[in-house]
Amino acid sequence: MTRKVALITGASRGIGAAVARTLAHDGLDIVLTCVHQRAAADAVAAEIRELGRQAWVAQFDVKDAERSRAAIEQLLAQTEIHVVVNNAGVVADSVFPALSPDAWHSVVDTSLDGFFHVTQPLVMPMVRRRWGRIINIASVSGVNGNRGQVNYCAAKAGLIGATKALALELASRNITVNAVAPGLIDTEMITSAPVEEILKHIPMKRIGTAQEVADLVAYLASDKSAYMTGQVISIAGGP
Amino acid sequence: MTPSELHQEIKQLIVEALQLQDVDPASISDTDALFGDGLNLDSIDALELATAIARKYDVKVSQDQETRDAFRSVRHLAEFITMKRAAATGGGHEGR
Repeated sequence: MTRKVALITGASRGIGAAVARTLAHDGLDIVLTCVHQRAAADAVAAEIRELGRQAWVAQFDVKDAERSRAAIEQLLAQTEIHVVVNNAGVVADSVFPALSPDAWHSVVDTSLDGFFHVTQPLVMPMVRRRWGRIINIASVSGVNGNRGQVNYCAAKAGLIGATKALALELASRNITVNAVAPGLIDTEMITSAPVEEILKHIPMKRIGTAQEVADLVAYLASDKSAYMTGQVISIAGGP
Repeated sequence: MTPSELHQEIKQLIVEALQLQDVDPASISDTDALFGDGLNLDSIDALELATAIARKYDVKVSQDQETRDAFRSVRHLAEFITMKRAAATGGGHEGR
């Protein structure tokens, strides 16, 4: 059995980096994508090679259709890709009346266009292989809504819709498509969030770790989750 | 190649390209519907089959009505392939 390869977008830090390390630990080779933090992505790749796994770093903006397509084609010339984790995401919070077009598009395009640009070229190879795992990192914000995050909630809710629809198309080929909806997780993304205020509403009274999310993603990427598709799993310290 | 040989070859290709392990190529009829009833293929199978046919017979398979008609049955597919190849090699016209 050949070793499986996972591609993780936005893998230089935060949840993406934790997913990359965890899947490598589980025996997968890893493709990390990043847009700005090349040095950080290279450092994660070096850690993965220390584990005896292969690691590639591809630097491109998932919003950019042309560059994404070129980068994925180049990767597919070197390796098969069995698992894709659409993790790249950004926030640009603002109450809706003050939300700029840039803040809308950067957030929506990274999540949704990014999902489309990266996932579509990987799907037919998965179909032919009759095995694949597509895991989309959404957010509880996309499930429940959140003030000041109309753009982010729209993007993540869109990703959840895409998850459910694509799961139906691919189910009979042993390709599962699931979404993970993290709550407040200890990454750079929440540095400007009012953590003390939010903690009052989290039943477990703590923020989650990137590792906890990565362990869930690892389950969804494995054979153990084979009968589960089109699901949105919250990991948020409470229901 | 006779039409009958082409029909057999297409059935073999359908089983191989779509990894239909439980289907005997000989059990596929020339005229039964490939999609919906009959073999009960879906639209992703259609994409896979289109790619396989384009590769094997060196014909252009685009997403138009002509193609959709061609994918109705083995016989329609054989006629489509024969016509496309004739157009590509004869008459000085590109078969696209």
